[in-house]
Amino acid sequence: MKSARSAPTTVIRDLSLPDAAEKHLAQMESKYRGLLEAAPDAMVVVNQGGDIVLLNLQAEKQFGYRRDELLGQKVTSIIPEGFAERLVADDLRSAEDALAQQIGTGIELIGRRKDGGEFPIEIMLSPLESAEGILVTAAIRDISARKTDEKHLAQMESKYRGLLEAAPDAMVVVNQSGDIVLLNLQAEKQFGYRRDELLGQEVKNIIPEGFAERLLADGLRSADDALAQQIGTGIELTGRRKDESEFPIELMLSPLESAEGILVTAAIRDISVRKAAEANLLQKVKELYRSNEELEQFAYFASHDLQEPLRMVASYTQLLSRRYKGKLDADADEFIAFAMDGASRMQRLIQDLLAYSRVGLTGMDLLDISSEDALQQALINLRGAIEESGALVTYDPLPTVLADEMQLIQLFQNLVGNAIKYHDTRIPKVHIVAARSSGKKWTFSVQDNGLGIEPQYFEKIFGLFQRLHKREEFAGTGIGLAICKKIVERHGGRISVESQSGHGSTFRFTLAGSREKS
Amino acid sequence: MKAAAKENGMSIEILLVEDSPGDVRLTQEVFRDANSLIRLHVASDGVEAMAFLRREGLHIRAPRPDLVLLDLNLPKMDGREVLAQIKEDSGLKTIPTLILTTSDAEADILKSYQLQANCYLNKPVRFDAFESLVKSINDFWLTKVKLPSQAPSG
Repeated sequence: MKSARSAPTTVIRDLSLPDAAEKHLAQMESKYRGLLEAAPDAMVVVNQGGDIVLLNLQAEKQFGYRRDELLGQKVTSIIPEGFAERLVADDLRSAEDALAQQIGTGIELIGRRKDGGEFPIEIMLSPLESAEGILVTAAIRDISARKTDEKHLAQMESKYRGLLEAAPDAMVVVNQSGDIVLLNLQAEKQFGYRRDELLGQEVKNIIPEGFAERLLADGLRSADDALAQQIGTGIELTGRRKDESEFPIELMLSPLESAEGILVTAAIRDISVRKAAEANLLQKVKELYRSNEELEQFAYFASHDLQEPLRMVASYTQLLSRRYKGKLDADADEFIAFAMDGASRMQRLIQDLLAYSRVGLTGMDLLDISSEDALQQALINLRGAIEESGALVTYDPLPTVLADEMQLIQLFQNLVGNAIKYHDTRIPKVHIVAARSSGKKWTFSVQDNGLGIEPQYFEKIFGLFQRLHKREEFAGTGIGLAICKKIVERHGGRISVESQSGHGSTFRFTLAGSREKS
Repeated sequence: MKAAAKENGMSIEILLVEDSPGDVRLTQEVFRDANSLIRLHVASDGVEAMAFLRREGLHIRAPRPDLVLLDLNLPKMDGREVLAQIKEDSGLKTIPTLILTTSDAEADILKSYQLQANCYLNKPVRFDAFESLVKSINDFWLTKVKLPSQAPSG
């Protein structure tokens, strides 16, 4: 390197200037050389013949030559094209003009190293007057890295644009001032604008509210924070078309870093159809809910109001029977008996129907309660039936559940009551257990040794007024299990039966466990 | 001492405030079966009930009842108002006033006791249950319970 550094001195001497100026020039040259070596770029000084007359260390490094290998050589050996030609006047211009045109501008050319390898360069030219005329100083910068970046960027951009256009949603890229900088075909279609009508316009034109505001920092947060909060979340807003019609949109935002700062890519989906479907569904649910409620209220008030006149009929037929049984003729006794039976059945029906509609109408008081206590209360209520049938009712320890106590008592009462009622000649045996099922749920089983149910009736028996037996065999209104189903479903559980005719039945229902611990 | 009335063969006066003729007759029948000494007087609305109790107009010769059986839902003046007026009246408030109604609404029960009802009874749906309720009223309110024999003065 040391020898390389001393070489240019020789070259300058070769310029063979008159002695008088030589000293001054030497001073100038040393100053210039200092500048030359300090420059960050490769510097090559070329005369108008295209010969290299001076170069710096960076030039040696960049082109892979020793200094003495380049001095006096044609500049075309390191910059094959586009540089030497620029130095020469042609028919149309003088050498000065030719040079003047190039001064200062960054010209992108190809450099060639000693090993033949080529690389992109940018050169900046400046004139240097000397005794032999104008020399040209070329600052040569290796722009390989920049070129790669640019290429990469161009690729990225085209890729990104490809993605943008391929996206099923309208895509709009917005800068932090809220101006649209990029958009895709879908965006044009969705908002009814041509691309050039939107580029550079405020995004507020197509999304009047709720979007631009989100891009801006406010007193509480920086722009980055503001954006970060919104990234990825689906924001429901209103879009406005060119014809000023509006439609519901869902917005997904993602940040895009760029030279001008963070841009925001907004994927905009027209959710009119979804919104309409949602509204429609909501309306339907509302209507269904209301008609259900009306039906329940109707059932409640109808049965409540029917009860009064029926009480008169039942009471007076009973009074008739009490006073006149055996005092009229046999027909009269029979007629009165039928009237009494009909009235009393209707009373039970109405009472059960009232109980059924009450399950739906009264609010539920969901608390952690002991299902064992509820079962015990149900058994107390069933004491008469249990004693009469001699039934054996047993149960395992039962858990605490989240339920309405009154309804749970009724549930047990109906299920155990049925288990006792529908039996053959054997003594009814009923066993109740609870097992933990998935999550915090409990599955209760009420198992009996009764008549059993044929599989085709498994679903049917939970319907209102569904009965499997003749009245002469078993009394009943066909409402008990419908009440059970309603109670269980109101608690978010399910009820089912498993049975084999002649081998007893097992009714299972699920209930949520206690809210406290597991 | 009114509880001795039965033994003395004196009649027992009951005012039934009830607007349904079917219920009136049924109550009359059942009370007659329960205790033949009972004389059941009937007022079919609240205004008439107060006139009876205050011996106004046609009721100038009305006896002071030993017991009032009061339905809640009545024309003109409802049972709650009748109850309130009885319990505000120093001459009437010692008369045991029993609410006898088909309503089992919690609000009605609470309101009745707040207005000093002596007890609240649900009219049973079934006839035999009604018979047994009337028997209970007779056994308790008309037999076991000791009541002042005279209206307090002032």
